[in-house]
Amino acid sequence: MRAHSVDKWLPRLIIILIAIFLLGPIVATFIYSISTVWVKTILPSGLTFKWYGVLTADPDFIPSTLRSLILAVAVVLITMLVFLPVIFYANVYNPKLKEKLRYLSILPYSIPGIVLVTGLVQLYGSLPVPKLLILILTISAICLPAFYQSLNNAFMGDDFQGMFEQAQLLGDSKLGAFVRVVLPNIRAGLMVGLLLTFTTAFTEYVITNIFLTGQYETLKIYMYRLMNTNGNAASVLTIIFFIFLGIIAFILIKIVSSQKRSVKE
Amino acid sequence: MGSKVKLFFPFSLVMLIGLILPVIVMVIAGFQGMDGGFTLSNYTTIFTQNYYRMAIFNSLWISLIAGIIGLVISILGAWAITRLAERTQNILIILFNLAASFAGIPLAFSLIIVFGNAGIAKALAHALHIGFLGNFSIYSLQGLILAYTFFEVPLGILFLYAPMKEIKKEWFEAAVVLGANRSFFIKTIILPILLPNIIETFIILFANAMGTYETMYALTGNNFISIPIVIGSLIDGSLNANVPLACALATIFAAVMAILVLVGNRIINRKRK
Repeated sequence: MRAHSVDKWLPRLIIILIAIFLLGPIVATFIYSISTVWVKTILPSGLTFKWYGVLTADPDFIPSTLRSLILAVAVVLITMLVFLPVIFYANVYNPKLKEKLRYLSILPYSIPGIVLVTGLVQLYGSLPVPKLLILILTISAICLPAFYQSLNNAFMGDDFQGMFEQAQLLGDSKLGAFVRVVLPNIRAGLMVGLLLTFTTAFTEYVITNIFLTGQYETLKIYMYRLMNTNGNAASVLTIIFFIFLGIIAFILIKIVSSQKRSVKE
Repeated sequence: MGSKVKLFFPFSLVMLIGLILPVIVMVIAGFQGMDGGFTLSNYTTIFTQNYYRMAIFNSLWISLIAGIIGLVISILGAWAITRLAERTQNILIILFNLAASFAGIPLAFSLIIVFGNAGIAKALAHALHIGFLGNFSIYSLQGLILAYTFFEVPLGILFLYAPMKEIKKEWFEAAVVLGANRSFFIKTIILPILLPNIIETFIILFANAMGTYETMYALTGNNFISIPIVIGSLIDGSLNANVPLACALATIFAAVMAILVLVGNRIINRKRK
C-alpha cells in the first residue's frame, strides 16, 4: 500500500516543483510590471497599471509588433505554398525522399542561428540584394524541420494517394484535389505545424538582429532595447509576449485534444 | 515532368538562398584571409590563441553542466508526467513547449528581475542574511547555467516523454510477481530500454546549449567569452569585426555538432536494433 501512495504524490510533487521553478521568474516579472517601484525591496512599494499605458503609448511599440508580424506571415506563406506540397509528395509518392528529409531534424542543432547568420553576413553582407527577402527565406528554411515533423503523423493512416488521384479522376485539377481532399484530412497536423512556424518566425532574434544590423526592429529587438532603457515598460512587454505565446499554446491544446477525442470516437 | 519542376524549383530556391549557399560560402570563407586569398591562419588563430581556446572551453563546460542538470531534472519530470491523468499529460506537454519557447531575451529579463543586482533575491538575501543568495550573480557562469536550465528542462522533458510513456505499468507488476524489487526492475529493465533515448536527449541538450546565443547575450552582453558570443562579436560590423575568422569558428562548430548528433544517432539506432 505504501508504494502505491508514493506513486500518487511523488509525480505530483515533482511536477509542482518544476512548474514553480519555471513559472517563478514570470510571476515575478508580472508583479514587477504592475509595481510603482520595486528595487532592492522584498515587496514592491505600490501597485499601478501605468507602465501598461507607457508601453502602449510608446511610438515604437506598434511598428515593431507589425514588423514581427510581417516576418511571421511571410514565412507562414512560404511554408504553406513551397514546403507543404513537397512534404505531401515525399510522404505519399516518394519514401526515399522522405528518408532524406529525416536528416532535417539535426539541422537546428548543428546549424544554430548564430552559425547561419555568419554565412549570411559573409555571402550577402556587401551585395546589393534585398536583405529582408533573404531573411524571410532563411527563417523559412530553419522552420522546415519542425513543420515537417508536425505533418509527419498527419500523413499516416489514410490512403492519400488514392484520395488525391480519385479526386482528379472526378475532374478536379491537381491544386483543386489538394485543397479540397488532402488539406481537410491533414488539418490538425497542419495547424500545429503552422503555429510552430509562426511562433519561431515571430520570435526570431539573432539572425534578424545581426544580418539586418538592427535596422529592422522586430519585437524582440525592441524588447532588448527597452530592457536597457525602461525596465518597467520592458516587463510589460515581456508579459504581453508571454500571454501571446500562451494563447498560441492554448490553441495548440485545443487542436491536439480535439484530435485525440476524434481518434477515440 | 512539368509539375515536378513546379514542385521542387521553389523549394530548392528557398533552401539554396536561405540555407545551403550561405553555409557553403561560410565553410569556404573560413579558409580565406581578410584579403580573400587562401590561408589556414583562421584555424591556427582559433587553436593557438588563448582567447579562442577559452571560448571553446567555456562553451563545452557550460553546455556539459547545463546538459547534465537538464537531463537529470527532465528524466524525473518526464517520468512524473506519465504518472498523471491522460488529459493532464497533454496539457503539460504543450505548457512545456511554451516554457521552452520563452527562452532568450524575455527569459533573461525575467531572471534579471529576480536575481539581478537590484532584484528580489538580493533584497531577500539582505533582509534574511542569506550569504550565498546575496553572492549569487545571474551574470556569472553559475547564473548562466541556472538560466539555461529554464529551457533545457522543458526541452529534455519533451524528448523523454514519448519513450517514457512506452513503459507499461504491467511490466513492473509482472516483474514483482517474478520476485523483482523496484531498484532491480529499474536497473535491469527500464534503464537498458531508455538508455538510447537518454543519450539522444543529452546530445540534444548539449548541442542546444552550445548554440545558445540570445539568452547569454541578453544576460552578459559580450562579456562572457563563449563560441556564440565570440562569433557574434566578430560579425556585428564593429571595429574588430573579422568575418572570415567567424566563418572558421562557425564551421568548426557546425562540423563538430553534426558529427556528434550523427554519431549519437548511429549508436542509438544500433542499440535499438
